[in-house]
Amino acid sequence: MAILNRIESAIDESIGRRRLGYALLGLIILFFLWFPNDASQSNYAKTVFISGFFYAIMSSSWALLAGIAGQFSFGHMAFMGIGAYVAGLVARDGIVFASLGIGITAESFSAIGTIIIGTLIAGLVGLVIGWLLLRLRSAYLALFTIAFSELFRIMMLTEYDYTGGSNGLSLRPLLQIADIDAARQVEYYLMFALLIVCLLAMYWVANSPIGLFLRAMREDEDAASALGVNVVRYKILVFVFTSMIVGLAGAIFYSDVGSERIIPEQLEVLQMSLIIAYAVIGGMESLIGAAAGAFISRYLLEAMREVVISLPLGLTLPDGSDAFVWETGAWRFAVFGVVMVFTLRYMRNGLLYPIITWFSGRDLAMQETVAKRDDDDDLDEQAGASDE
Amino acid sequence: MSDINLLLNRVSKRFGGNQAVDHVSFSVTKPELIGMIGPNGAGKTTLTNLMSGMLKPTTGTIYLNGRRIDGHPAYDVTRAGLGRTFQITRALGRMTVLENMMVPGLAHRPRARRLDLEERAHEILGLLTIDHLTNEYSRALSGGQRKLLELGRLLMLEPSVIILDEPFAGVHPRLQETIYQYIHRVHEDGKAIILISHDMDAVFELSHRLLVLHHGALIADGAPQAVRSDPAVIEAYLGHDEDD
Repeated sequence: MAILNRIESAIDESIGRRRLGYALLGLIILFFLWFPNDASQSNYAKTVFISGFFYAIMSSSWALLAGIAGQFSFGHMAFMGIGAYVAGLVARDGIVFASLGIGITAESFSAIGTIIIGTLIAGLVGLVIGWLLLRLRSAYLALFTIAFSELFRIMMLTEYDYTGGSNGLSLRPLLQIADIDAARQVEYYLMFALLIVCLLAMYWVANSPIGLFLRAMREDEDAASALGVNVVRYKILVFVFTSMIVGLAGAIFYSDVGSERIIPEQLEVLQMSLIIAYAVIGGMESLIGAAAGAFISRYLLEAMREVVISLPLGLTLPDGSDAFVWETGAWRFAVFGVVMVFTLRYMRNGLLYPIITWFSGRDLAMQETVAKRDDDDDLDEQAGASDE
Repeated sequence: MSDINLLLNRVSKRFGGNQAVDHVSFSVTKPELIGMIGPNGAGKTTLTNLMSGMLKPTTGTIYLNGRRIDGHPAYDVTRAGLGRTFQITRALGRMTVLENMMVPGLAHRPRARRLDLEERAHEILGLLTIDHLTNEYSRALSGGQRKLLELGRLLMLEPSVIILDEPFAGVHPRLQETIYQYIHRVHEDGKAIILISHDMDAVFELSHRLLVLHHGALIADGAPQAVRSDPAVIEAYLGHDEDD
């Protein structure tokens, strides 16, 4: 313990925690840039990373919505689905305004055009849902968004002629690269770039006056309102902003970048629960924490599909092998559940929170707070006793 | 009407069968320091919520600095120049003291330089003797320190009318003294203050004028000494003799 304290002091006195944190972040980014160039990495590994980037966008944007703005929504996957389905429908059918006699054929739209329309429609639906949710808080907000999410999923499942039902809907491929290895590499960088751009955009919002107002709203809507914050505007704004982010991520991911088609199964409440779980494990009040939580969780869930167990003490199986493969199936989710229970019970700010606060230096400030408040606490207790 | 900061005209609020506020009319001109008293359930908090935009009146009109504000949302009323504190302190717990100050600062002056607002926040926190807690989470503050923080946030709004709801409740005498000084200073700066408190000594000592509510109605409005001897007020607080 003494050694750790000395290392901590040495860091504080030399480079400083914050700078060390930025340096570490830089190294992590360099690792992700290098990874697909490593010849030993398979396309499967790159696919796992692409999926990790996608879920990192989903969880970090949910962290902005729920962790920072306090809007505990279950509709995030539905907004992602809106972005993807709209992009797919526009790519297949174009846009027709029958009453005006105007139509734009599907061929007129590029893949990027369909993604933009999918993103805008996701934002538009976010606007409507945000407006409908204005008077709802906590459990009611969660129930409303579950209902909305299920309604959308069932619509996509049952309107087979339009959406392809359970078979899903293909979007226009965003990249058309014949070579599979090269394609995977470009897809990897595209998804990684999207994650970085989304994180930067969200980080900018979270650290701007808007972010301050969102956090005030999370803490106490009435108090924020009494302090001059237009709660209605910021509530709608955060819904529109996060809906557009996940709509964009969905439209790109399912444009044959991470997956070749969007299926209603992706919109199930279970999938939404996973997004929330990733954010909670990483730290739902931290965009980086939630993104890292999602990426690491996705990677570990994938790595745990097959676990090789070596037998100890020279034991062998009847076939002579000294190890066997355990196909974990649903059990890996059980392990994930245990981690979730542990996090909620002992580390409610997420497993990465201590690391993030250490690098930011906030833990020092909090220790000082406790010491500083003690004097006045004692005085207040005396005052309370005398009032009674 | 140009000298009037706040004008209530026959304001009422009904919740189902309960008449919480009953045709209340009064005006506040700066720099008045007004006490508002009444037994529990008299309608003080409801009236505060009506004035600050938290509730919409059933009938009646409210003007603030010449602008009609009844039915307007709370943030709009705040920006129009009315600031309030809450009976139970509502510090933004998982935000630092400085962030608590910056919320009203940025809401009120969105184009101001952040550094200027931070400087102003430090100045106010210094006045309230809690500048040493600037970077601490407000959930970690003591009850008294939170009261001071609420008062500090009000000054960031630069309101012309301030409603203080039970500012002395549960606060140590040393911090109460700071609040006294705050009230005097804000009043000297030319702001109108409505002070709601069950601490009669404080109300009578500080106020130049008293409003007394009973069953939602305004039963007295005048100088503290005159109100003290008003039979309607005495009856509201002590009840009437059953033999009468």
